[in-house]
Amino acid sequence: MTRLVEVPSQFDDRSFDQFAAAYAQATADGERLLFDAHAAEWASPYGLVGLLAAGEAAGKREGGGGERPLLTVPSSAEVVSYWARAGFFREAADLFEVHGKVPKTKPATESEVLLPVTPVRAAEDVHAVVSTIQQRASAILAKELGLDPKATMGFAMALSEACQNIVEHAGAGGWVAVQAYNWRRKLARRVVVIAVADAGVGFRHSLEPSQAKRFGDRWGDAAALEAALIQGTSRFRDPGRGQGLAGIRRYLARWEGKVAIRSGTARIAIVPRWDDDVPLRDGLPKFPGSQVLLIIPEQGSAQA
Amino acid sequence: MIQHIKVHEVLQQSVAGFYADLVTRPTGRAVRESIERALPAGTIAVMDFTGVGCLDYSCADEIVAKLVREKVRVLLLRGTSDAHRDAIEPVLLGHGLAAVCERPDGTLHVIGAREPAAALLDELVSQQVAARTPGGAIALTAA
Repeated sequence: MTRLVEVPSQFDDRSFDQFAAAYAQATADGERLLFDAHAAEWASPYGLVGLLAAGEAAGKREGGGGERPLLTVPSSAEVVSYWARAGFFREAADLFEVHGKVPKTKPATESEVLLPVTPVRAAEDVHAVVSTIQQRASAILAKELGLDPKATMGFAMALSEACQNIVEHAGAGGWVAVQAYNWRRKLARRVVVIAVADAGVGFRHSLEPSQAKRFGDRWGDAAALEAALIQGTSRFRDPGRGQGLAGIRRYLARWEGKVAIRSGTARIAIVPRWDDDVPLRDGLPKFPGSQVLLIIPEQGSAQA
Repeated sequence: MIQHIKVHEVLQQSVAGFYADLVTRPTGRAVRESIERALPAGTIAVMDFTGVGCLDYSCADEIVAKLVREKVRVLLLRGTSDAHRDAIEPVLLGHGLAAVCERPDGTLHVIGAREPAAALLDELVSQQVAARTPGGAIALTAA
């Protein structure tokens, strides 16, 4: 028997909980999973790296028999071409038994794909990501988003810290993708989006030994996210730890950006004035690992 | 005697691969350990960031904060960009530490926690490493 996990037609952070619910339901009995993306019309970087995390988690499930999950590719040639250019299928090939025609395309160097879907497993990968993004992002950030050219370095720094969360805390590899696009639905402006996802242990597990007692009955995924993002705590006792997420917050606050982190059954966000997201959600469908979203809008144009 | 540290050179010697960016904890740790091997404890050191691209918080903490906390008497930062200082200052503040920063015109100012800041410039002046300029600023006398 194969269990179906439907990939939302518009697959981004807003529809991710729908996907996570389908994933949680399908993984209840250890059957092989089929991720059905045939109806997908669009996927954000968050959707793409999240789908890879789901594929990895599905393949490693206890009782899953070690079988790779199935993936049906989008039926739209345009969509499947975009996923290929975004570097998705290069990574998906190792995780899924892919069904459907995938164009043999190298990941794009076009302007909107600032960084194709890229694996992050070790410090060397973070170096490569930071180096690539500085070469690619500078012009986009300055010319298209109206950021001070000096902001490129801060952008690379935020990206580095987001990726390092995987290397330092996830206990598994993950993926990062960076894209610039027109966010018509929400802002009618251009945005740059950084999405980082892994199928590792998640914030709760990582922080539990050092933080659970402090939170008592409140301890859970939401409390762990609050401890990490709002209070800047880390699983390490070293007082210099926990600076990364605080630094990301500072950088995004300067540029009216947004950060949201989903882990386990909770999601936390620092919500800028142009967004109507909820700062903290608990009791969401359980999903493995952690998924981080950073959004930087075009400057001088963000509307409430 | 002032010790000189060219961070970009140390980075090239400390980690495999040709990196210009000081990012990740392991990189920061490797660079700091290389510096520590060549640096006597309790010295005044000039750390030159010329040629360094991105500096993230992890490396700022591993290199700058830990050297200030555990190894040097006064750390003077040279060749830093705004972005470098954006990474270094919050890290120093988090530890209650401070470091001296050299502006492009050679004058000095202190970044980090307020309490140890005043003492740092006094220390440089009393050691005759720095002196007041006619304009009232403080600048290095040598190095």
